[in-house]
Amino acid sequence: MFKFIKKADIVLFFVLLAFGIGLSALSLFTGTSGQKVQIEVNGQPYAVYSLAENQTIEITEHGHTNKITIKDGAVQMSYSDCKNQICVNDGQISKTNQSIVCLPNKVMVEITGGEEEFDAISN
Amino acid sequence: MPSQTNRSGHNRRTQKTRLLAIGAMFACLALIFSYIEAIIPFNAGIPGVKLGIANLVVIIALYNMGPKYAFTINCIRILVAGLLFNGAFGAVYSLAGGVLSFLVMWGLKKTNLFSMAGVSMAGGVAHNMGQLFVASAIVSNLKMFLYFPVLMFSGLASGIMIGVVACVIDSRVPKQLFR
Ligand SMILES: [Zn+2]
Repeated sequence: MFKFIKKADIVLFFVLLAFGIGLSALSLFTGTSGQKVQIEVNGQPYAVYSLAENQTIEITEHGHTNKITIKDGAVQMSYSDCKNQICVNDGQISKTNQSIVCLPNKVMVEITGGEEEFDAISN
Repeated sequence: MPSQTNRSGHNRRTQKTRLLAIGAMFACLALIFSYIEAIIPFNAGIPGVKLGIANLVVIIALYNMGPKYAFTINCIRILVAGLLFNGAFGAVYSLAGGVLSFLVMWGLKKTNLFSMAGVSMAGGVAHNMGQLFVASAIVSNLKMFLYFPVLMFSGLASGIMIGVVACVIDSRVPKQLFR
């Protein structure tokens, strides 16, 4: 019944299929680890964590201590020994390009990568 | 029109008139298919996943009437469908997908290596990719590329389906219609 199908069709099919599978693997990979929590201390990159992984990071640099908590896709400065406590009062951030800065301790937490908010595509 | 039956240029003129008439008919048919697709919510909540029945007409036209007619039919179909049921914004997506898929199909057909099913399959994928490129350019968002595999596979599947149907139809269409 499918005699009209040529060899090149089958080759092309498998090429496209392989391409598709490769892309799925890629998007799966980048999908789960899309957003990162980037920490800078004193203007220098300190560490990068995945936003998807729940954990608390304690940073002690120059005699100052900050605790950063990543929980359920949101980040907050859970503890800081700084005077003004602005960073602790900032609460949670969860979106790309949002950041929390502790100016006295020179600690910055930023969410990078992944996707920006969008709902333009619906149809 | 049919009264113009002078000997010289008779064949040429009637052929051209006939092709124009058939081309218009094909464009209407493609439009009807677009309409059917627009009213049947075939897409499973994923934007851009469509069966692309209208492509059936484009492929038949490409093989029997040549690229010029096929391209024109395709563009008319997309623009009118855009105005009637998809909205102008939707027409931009469709046009990108339609033009890219047409170019791919035309190119593959020219190699003479592929059957209609293969040509249609590549066209289906190209159609979805084209739409995605425009979408990601407009929205400028990387998340769009999460749709990439979905659109890829759906384009593949629908392209093959349409291609097989096109093969069957093409073998039944009386060829003197286009001569
Ligand atoms: Zn602070």
